[in-house]
Amino acid sequence: MNKFAKWGLTLPATIAVTLLLVVPVLITIATTFGEPKGVFSTYTAFFNSGFRTNILYRTLRIALITTAISLVIGFLTAYVIAQMPGRLKSIAIIAAVFPLLTGVVVRSFAWLIILGKNGILNSSLLSLGIISEPLSMLYTEGSVIVAMVYLFVPLMILTLTGVLEGIPRDVVEASASLGARPIATFFQVILPLAVPGLIVGAVLVFTGSFTSYATPQLLGGEQMMMMGTLLYQRAMVTFDWVGASTIAAIMVVITIAVVSIMSRIARRLNPMAV
Amino acid sequence: MTVSLTIENLSAHYGQTQVLKDLSISVAAGELVSLLGSSGCGKTTTLRIVAGFLAPTSGHVKLGDRDLTTLPAHARDIGLVFQNYALFPHLTVMENVAFGLKQRGISSSDRAKRATAMLERVGLAPLADRLPAALSGGQKQRVALARALVIEPPLLMFDEPLSNLDAKLRVDMRVEIRQLQKANGTTSLYVTHDQEEAFSISDRVAIMNAGRIMQLDTPEVLYQKPANAFVARFVGFENLIPMKTVARDGVIVTAEAAGGARLHLSQDAFGPIKDDFVLATRPDGLVTRGTGEGIPATLGTRTYLGRAYQYKCETAAGEITANGALSEMFEPGATAVLVPLPEQCCILDPEN
Amino acid sequence: MTARIHPLLGAFAILVFLFLLAPLVIIVGASLSDTTYLTFPPQGLTLRWFANIFEISAFRNTAITSFQVAILGTGLSLLIGIPAAYALNRYRVGLPKWLGTLFILPILVPEIVFGFSLLKTITIGLGLPVYPSLIIGHALLVLPYSVRVVGASLASFDFSVEEAAISLGCPPLKTFFTVVLPNIRAGVIAAFILAFITSINDVSISVFLTGPGISTLPIQILAHMEQFFDPTIASVSVLLMLVTVGVMAIVEMTLGLTFLTK
Ligand SMILES: Nc1ncnc2c1ncn2[C@@H]1O[C@H](COP(=O)(O)OP(=O)(O)O)[C@@H](O)[C@H]1O
Ligand SMILES: [Mg+2]
Repeated sequence: MNKFAKWGLTLPATIAVTLLLVVPVLITIATTFGEPKGVFSTYTAFFNSGFRTNILYRTLRIALITTAISLVIGFLTAYVIAQMPGRLKSIAIIAAVFPLLTGVVVRSFAWLIILGKNGILNSSLLSLGIISEPLSMLYTEGSVIVAMVYLFVPLMILTLTGVLEGIPRDVVEASASLGARPIATFFQVILPLAVPGLIVGAVLVFTGSFTSYATPQLLGGEQMMMMGTLLYQRAMVTFDWVGASTIAAIMVVITIAVVSIMSRIARRLNPMAV
Repeated sequence: MTVSLTIENLSAHYGQTQVLKDLSISVAAGELVSLLGSSGCGKTTTLRIVAGFLAPTSGHVKLGDRDLTTLPAHARDIGLVFQNYALFPHLTVMENVAFGLKQRGISSSDRAKRATAMLERVGLAPLADRLPAALSGGQKQRVALARALVIEPPLLMFDEPLSNLDAKLRVDMRVEIRQLQKANGTTSLYVTHDQEEAFSISDRVAIMNAGRIMQLDTPEVLYQKPANAFVARFVGFENLIPMKTVARDGVIVTAEAAGGARLHLSQDAFGPIKDDFVLATRPDGLVTRGTGEGIPATLGTRTYLGRAYQYKCETAAGEITANGALSEMFEPGATAVLVPLPEQCCILDPEN
Repeated sequence: MTARIHPLLGAFAILVFLFLLAPLVIIVGASLSDTTYLTFPPQGLTLRWFANIFEISAFRNTAITSFQVAILGTGLSLLIGIPAAYALNRYRVGLPKWLGTLFILPILVPEIVFGFSLLKTITIGLGLPVYPSLIIGHALLVLPYSVRVVGASLASFDFSVEEAAISLGCPPLKTFFTVVLPNIRAGVIAAFILAFITSINDVSISVFLTGPGISTLPIQILAHMEQFFDPTIASVSVLLMLVTVGVMAIVEMTLGLTFLTK
C-alpha cells in the first residue's frame, strides 16, 4: 500500500517533467551533435564567430554586473528592513513585493519611457541645461543593466530580508555583550552568517539575467543582443534551428554549472550544517 | 576588581504593557543573586536592561559607582550567558572564546593563550577547532560560559543557562558554574525558573512575580520564613489558613480558624503573633490524626507518596492538603483532625 | 537581529524604494497623458487610452487567453504537484533524492530553452496544437511552486494527525481531503498565487508558443510596442498593475504579506 502510494503519487509529475521537459531539452541538445560536418561542428562555428562569442561574453558581463549591483543594493536595503519596527517593515515589504509581482514586460517598459530619446531623463537633463543634445541611452549595455537591476533588486531584497531575519537576535546581542561595536558586529557576525543567503540570491539573479529575454529585447534591441534574444532570433527569425539549439545547449550548461557549483559552495559555507 | 551591581527602581514597558514595576535589586561584590520566577514574570527583561539591549522607562543600573543606564551594550563589559547559548555558528570554539578579546584589541597570540587557558578550565581544549554545530548541548554551554568568562567582566549574567540540558548535566553544570564564579569572585546575576537550581547555586535569591520582587533573601530564610503569601506558596506552603487570635497567655497564643477550630501556638517558635494572621503549612506540616487538638476535617482523595499518605481534606477553613502516617490509613469520607507541626509551619502577616 | 541604523544607510534605503516605485508611478502618469506619444509628467489628463484598449480586440482576446492559460496551467500543476509534494514529505525515506531535484528542473533549465525545446519537439515534432502546448508549457513552468511551496507546508504538518484520523476509521483519501488539505491550505493558496502570477507574466515560453489567433497578453504588448509607441501600452500596464494590487490584497487577506519573505 505504502509502496504503491509512494511511487504512484509522484508518478504523474515525474512523467510530465521527464517527457515534456527533460526529453525535449535533451533532444534539442542532442541535435547539435548530429551535424554532417562533425560532432562538435556547431560549437566550433559558434566559438569561431566573433559576433556570437561577443554576445556570449556580453551576456555573461551583463549578468555579472547586474548580480553585483543587485547584491549590494539588496543587502544594504534588506539590512535596513530587518531592523525596522513591525509596521514600517510591512510597508517596506509591500513596496518591494509590488514590483516583483508586476510583470517583466511592464517593468522593462517603464525604462523605455525613462531612457528614451524623448524620455523623462533626457527631457529633465535638457531643461536643467546639463546637456544640449538628447543622449541615446537606449539600446546600450547600460540601459539593459539598469532595467535588469530594477528587475532583480526586489527579489534580492526579499530573499536577503528573510536571511537576515533568520539570524538569531541573541547571537547579535552576544556580539555586543562581548564588546563588539555595531560595525564590528556587522562585519564579523552578520555578514559571515548571511553569506550562504547572499550566494543563493546571487545565483537567482545571475541565472535570471543570464537567461533573460524580454528585457534585452526591449532595451537592448538588435544592437545589444543577449543569449536569450539571439536564441529567439535564430529560432524564429532566421529559422536556424541547429544554431538555436547550440545556443540553448550553451545556456543550459552554463546555468546548471553555476547553480550546482554555487549551491555546493553555499552549503560548504553554511555553518549550521556540519 | 569586584564591584557591586545596583538596580534602582526599574520600570519597563513593551508598548502599553508594563512588564517591570519599580524593581530594585542590589548584588554585593562577588555575590551570586538569582532571579527566580515563573515564565513571563520579567526576568529576561531585567537582564536585557542591565545588558543594555533594552532601555528602561525609568530607573537606573549601576556597576560600582558607574551609572550604566545610557551606555550602549558593547561598552558595558558584562559577561552574558544566553539560554540558547548564542554561539557564533560560523566561528570555531576557539574563535568564539577569543571573540571578546579580539574586540578589546588584544594581540592574536595573547588571545590564543588566554582562550586556550579558559578552554582548559572548562575542559574543552581538545574541541577548540570544532564548529558549534558539532557540539553537544553541555559542550555548547561550556563554550558560552568560557566566552563570557574570558573577558574577565566585573559582572556575569546568566539567562536560564541550564534549561536546555538534561537533568543530570544540569546538576553537574550548576556546580561547575558556581565553582568558576566563586574562584573568580565575579559578581553575578542568575536567572532561572527552577527553585532547586536557584536555591543551590545562589548566595541570595530574588523571587519575582509579575514584574516585582516579592522577596530577596538567602535560600534558608526564603524556605523557612517567607515574607508573604506569594513566596510562601512558591516554596511549598500549600495551605494558607487565616486565623484570629482569641486569647494570649504569656508566649502562648490561642487562635481560631474559620469554623471555630482552635490552635495553641508558641511565640517562641513563630516569633511575635499579631491578632490577625495566616498560618502557612506544607502538607508535611499538618499531620492527620484520628483525634486530638487540631482542625476537624473530612478526608477526600488519598495519594500514596511512599513516605506518607497525602489527603485532600475538606475543613470549615477551606480545602487543605495534609499528610498522614503510613501506619494509620484513612478511607475517603473518614473524619480526622489536622495537627500543625510548628517546625513545618510559618506565620504570615496578611498585610504583606 | 536588532541594531541601530546609520542615517546614511537609512537615506540609501529610501533612495532604493524611490528607485523601485518611481518607474511604476511614471507609467501611471504616462497612461493619463493627453498626447499621442509617451511622456511624463502627463500633459493634460485623459482616460481615452484606457478606452482605446477595449477597442483593440487583440488586447481583449489575448487577455482572455492569458487568464485561461494561467488558470488551467496552475490548476494542472497543482493537480500533479500536490500529490508529489505529499509523497515527498510523507515518505521521506525511500524516495530517491533526485526526485526533488527533478521537480524543480523547470526553474533550473532556462525558460527560453524550455520554450524553444517544447516548440521544437512537442508542438512541431508531435504536431500538438498551440493552445494545449501553451497550457502544458505553463503548467510545467509553475510546477516547482506547487511542489516546493505546498511541500514547505507539508514539512511542518504532523503526519501522526493523519494516522490518528485513519485509526479512527476515516478512509485514506477522505482523510487527505478532510484532515491534511485544510492544514496545508496556506501553502496551496500561496502556490496558486505565485504560480498564477508567474504564468500570467510569462514571456520566455509564450513567445515560442503563440500562433495564428493565439497569443498571450505580454506577447501582445511586446508586439504592439514594436508598431505603436503611444500611451495605450501604459494604460494596459496600469491595468496589469491593478491585477497585481488585487493579488496582493488577496495575499494579505488570506496569508498576510509578511508570508512573502519566508
Ligand atoms: N518583545 C516583546 N514585546 C512584547 N512583549 C514582550 C516582549 N518580550 C517579552 N514580552 C512580555 O514581557 C513579559 C516579561 O517577559 P520576560 O522578561 O521574557 O519574562 P521571563 O524571562 O521571566 O520569562 C512577558 O509577559 C512577555 O510576554
Ligand atoms: Mg526568559
